[in-house]
Amino acid sequence: MSSNDPLVLIEQYLERVRVYLPLDSEDSIVELQTHLIEEAQRIGGGKMTAGSAMMAIERMGDPKSVANEYAGSGKRVGPVPAEYVNPVSRIIVVLLGIGIAITVGFYMLGVTLAQVIGADIQNWPFSIPLMIVLNAFIIIVIIGGISLLDRDKPLTEKTTLESVFGIGVDGFKPKGRWDAAGDLVMGIFWGIVIMLPGVVILYTDAFAAVYMTVVIFLFLGAIKGALFFFGGENNFNLAVEGLLSVVWIALAVVLINVGWPIRYVYANAGAGWTLFDLEAFFISNDIPFVPFDWIWAVIMFVTVVVAIWRVIVSSMKITMYLRAGKRLWWRGNWGERRSLRTPLWKRVLGEHDQFQKETAVHHEGSREPDENQ
Amino acid sequence: MPYSTVLRTLLAKTNKVNCLTMSKKTQEELDRWSKEVKRGAVTLAILALLSKRRAYGYEAVKLLDEKMSFLALEQGTVYPLLRRLEQRELLKSEWDYEDPTKPKKYYAVTEEGLLALGAMAQAWSDLSREIRDILSEVEQ
Repeated sequence: MSSNDPLVLIEQYLERVRVYLPLDSEDSIVELQTHLIEEAQRIGGGKMTAGSAMMAIERMGDPKSVANEYAGSGKRVGPVPAEYVNPVSRIIVVLLGIGIAITVGFYMLGVTLAQVIGADIQNWPFSIPLMIVLNAFIIIVIIGGISLLDRDKPLTEKTTLESVFGIGVDGFKPKGRWDAAGDLVMGIFWGIVIMLPGVVILYTDAFAAVYMTVVIFLFLGAIKGALFFFGGENNFNLAVEGLLSVVWIALAVVLINVGWPIRYVYANAGAGWTLFDLEAFFISNDIPFVPFDWIWAVIMFVTVVVAIWRVIVSSMKITMYLRAGKRLWWRGNWGERRSLRTPLWKRVLGEHDQFQKETAVHHEGSREPDENQ
Repeated sequence: MPYSTVLRTLLAKTNKVNCLTMSKKTQEELDRWSKEVKRGAVTLAILALLSKRRAYGYEAVKLLDEKMSFLALEQGTVYPLLRRLEQRELLKSEWDYEDPTKPKKYYAVTEEGLLALGAMAQAWSDLSREIRDILSEVEQ
């Protein structure tokens, strides 16, 4: 549904353009954003309205063509028209990346994919990419058919096909500045918590032998957060992230074998806090310790899958930046959505949007119906 | 038939065509030729404009639009060209976040760009003089 807010219209349109652009196109998006705002202001005689924003958007044209003019080679790549090369490659990378990450994650748990699916897969592992490609093809054909129905949507509204092509866009966005701050704060916080003497005594003997490695890793993660917070996304920070992810995968191999790390929990029986032996409780009551081992295995699996995904994305981005002639360090971007609106807290304090919605009055004195609300 | 006579005849025919309406074929040829000329001229025009003062994308589009009718370029041509010239180190860019809602990427000509501009301007000047000479010979 189209909004009456010119800023929202521009953001929606740029989201459509983003679907067809390569990963390193944040600068182009911002340039287009500035262009659209200035053009809309010019058309609106200095004030941006929904009508002037729509006119600026229409003058810029179809998102596919705009993106292709900016980034496309103008050639067909294999069977894929140039404008679809970026989204299709991104989807393929996402599917393969997820496939690899999950396969490695299961492998590290000592579980084969065939066991997980519970079926005898013929010609494994060759059938896996074949199935992915076949299913992706079927999905694209179906969605392509559906998208024929929404051809008449306004320029600011994503088509069904674009919603599919948009898959993975978020997965490749640079780390947000506040996410990086979170990594920094939480890394330090959990690093300190894990080595507190009152917490260390709760560990199993096996985990007590390795917990300092985890603490060091958390502090390294905090340093990584600080690097991203101050420097944004650049080759150095991506390399640090990739390297730390590899270290985590190696560490996870050890931690999976260490098993559930907590043996004791604090209990208060009325006479102060005592240590309650979880393991002994389970053994003495003939309850298998399996649920905790499974919880631990799932935690390790998820973190390993995330780490593998980060290694894949970091390596891809470093290669992409090197190809673009970037070196090791520069002040990179953060992944926040560049909202054009004044944040809510500022609006509460009385600071209004720079671009107020203006009621467009035509020379004849008639009003644009969509802007009267 | 001498070369100049051929040209004179052609020019007369062209004038006649312009006076009436251009045929589809002539229009197509003109479009094709214009595209070729523009392709070469636009780099020179952008370098020349930005050598006087830095400008951001929208500003460059509007400057070109104001100053040139023949070279009227779409934003879809100007922005990618600015980026290509930056990659070729003829332009350098700098972001200005003074207005956070409208960050501006300012482009300016590099030392290398100025050298290229000088050489291109000289070549363009030679070319236009030579073309003018040929055309004036035909018109006589």
